[in-house]
Amino acid sequence: MKTCPYCAHVNLEGVFFCEECGHPFVGGQGVIATSQLVPEEQGAFQGRVTWGTARFERDASIIIRIRNHDEPINIESVDTIVIGRTDPKAPSAIDLDTAPYGAADLGVSRVHASIRRGEDTLTLVDENSTNGTYLNGQRLIPNQPRVLRDGDEVRLGRLVFHVFFR
Amino acid sequence: MDASRNWYAILGVPPEASQEDIREAYRIMARRFHPDANPNDGADLQFRDIAAAYETLGNPAPRVQYDMARRKYQDEPNYFTLRVTPSKRVLTALSEPQVVYLLLEIVPLRNAAKTVRREAPLNLTLVLDRSTSMKGVRLDKVKIAAHQIVEQLTSDDILSVVTFSDRADVLIPAGHVSDKPSLRSMISIMRADGGTEIFHGLAAGVDQCRVYRGPRRVNHVVLLTDGRTFGDEEQCLALATQAAEDGIGISAMGIGDEWNDDFLDRLASATGGTSAYINSPSAVVRFLNDRVRSLGDAFAERLMLSIAPDADVKLESAFKLMPNSQPIDVYPQPIPVGALEYNRPVSILIQLQMPPSVKSGFRTVARLDVTGDVLAVGRQGYKVLSDISVEIAENPEPEEPPLAILDALGKLTLYRMQQKAEVALLEGNVREATRRLENLATRLLAAGQEELAEQAMIEAHRVSKTNMLSEEGRKSLKFGTRRLLALPQPGENGE
Repeated sequence: MKTCPYCAHVNLEGVFFCEECGHPFVGGQGVIATSQLVPEEQGAFQGRVTWGTARFERDASIIIRIRNHDEPINIESVDTIVIGRTDPKAPSAIDLDTAPYGAADLGVSRVHASIRRGEDTLTLVDENSTNGTYLNGQRLIPNQPRVLRDGDEVRLGRLVFHVFFR
Repeated sequence: MDASRNWYAILGVPPEASQEDIREAYRIMARRFHPDANPNDGADLQFRDIAAAYETLGNPAPRVQYDMARRKYQDEPNYFTLRVTPSKRVLTALSEPQVVYLLLEIVPLRNAAKTVRREAPLNLTLVLDRSTSMKGVRLDKVKIAAHQIVEQLTSDDILSVVTFSDRADVLIPAGHVSDKPSLRSMISIMRADGGTEIFHGLAAGVDQCRVYRGPRRVNHVVLLTDGRTFGDEEQCLALATQAAEDGIGISAMGIGDEWNDDFLDRLASATGGTSAYINSPSAVVRFLNDRVRSLGDAFAERLMLSIAPDADVKLESAFKLMPNSQPIDVYPQPIPVGALEYNRPVSILIQLQMPPSVKSGFRTVARLDVTGDVLAVGRQGYKVLSDISVEIAENPEPEEPPLAILDALGKLTLYRMQQKAEVALLEGNVREATRRLENLATRLLAAGQEELAEQAMIEAHRVSKTNMLSEEGRKSLKFGTRRLLALPQPGENGE
């Protein structure tokens, strides 16, 4: 049985999406909610969607929450954030080191992916990683940027984290 | 002696198999599919084939006769083949049931488009709603569309046009398309008046289609309506089932918000046809023309699928993804799945439930078979089959689910969430319907479908306030989420 971490619905083994709420169980792993519904004030409702936005303000910062690790990582304004893991044998220039989170065992490449700042969006790019980069369960084509949204789930190899805009 | 069938393939033995091998193969097949051992509907159907195969091959005399007659078909190419991808190649041994998905693709002969391509001759019937509500721009667009269809057709094609309101009129009786100007002027005299009673129109349309019905043609009725029919829906569905048995397909298109989409879905699905939502009158022309064009692009027609799961495997559902996304009923079998075009496979996602199984090793899951008429070469009743098996292991290596399945399932989940919200609302469960619509909005956003997400939010709000969905919003969500299924996979077109 597979219990949905989002709505607690009990699904049969083998399903890839919760039959109740559509929550993805990609790779056979339950993941935390990718985005939270923010209820609007009743009177002011105009049918506008205000969560999961792709818009990333110039002065905003990024918060990364790695699964099974409580402490969020706060990243202030940088144009390109290269994500990978440090390896004493082969040093590389990276901005976010995932080695402390067991990255080597989880199949993260030394230079795995990067988050790039565009005009008013962020994009996620797979840097030819060995085990691939997944955005909300979908594998990225190397070197092809995809727009990141607030609350998105990113998977590098088997390392899962969520990206939030602040 | 029916030598057009490959009995050896049906028993899964090579042509040089000994009588003993054949007997053994039959015994194994019978254990899997005999109606006494296997309650599944498709199994009964396939067992009849297996029994017929054994009847011929099980005795040396008829076998020799068959082998001789079969030579004629020796050089027959694989007009179409089945490609089946399971969601997992190795299942975990579990003491509880688990779900397995199969992505079935029916693939036309390679290079068919280059070597044998020709326009399939059509036997087309248009059944057009001319009720009062069609008055004005809707009817004008329908006339334009019909004029363009007349232009598209050639003298090889057969056309008939039936109009209906609360009664049906044969505007153009079935005949070769020769005198185009007079056909056009007959279409021009359509006037809007009266209510909507689909059955009369459909029955008259199917009758017209029957006149020139033939195995070398695409026999198809295109129904276009903007209204809801009352009290004759079951009659229509019975008619559709009969039409499908006669090799006639039905496509159903609804304009505007009044028509009954569930009914038109069932009507189309019963024949392997398609149903579509036309949200503005100006789109009528494109929709109708596209439909007729894709009918003419048929390499094979009247594909019939049968799914025979093993006795302990449950067939839960199937959904057609390509060339158009269409819910399909898994019973009764065989399931009509329409035409196979030259350049696009037909793809169908099948959901099965496997029983608890703690024993490791290979096991069979289901047998799929597809029959069809290959119009391009005039071969009728061409049949292929595929026997699916998977491995069960204690601790299988983690495997990435195939992207094609994941992508299709992600989109299908959205469609189903929308369907469930509707069901909840029908049952009067407003809170659940609201929650489901909100969940849908969240998922749609995650999938990058902002417009649909917004629509889902608006409807969620509307439901919580008024206990109702708007017809327009409901249909936009239903056909919007369904349309996602026909989109190319991510990576094929970038972000």
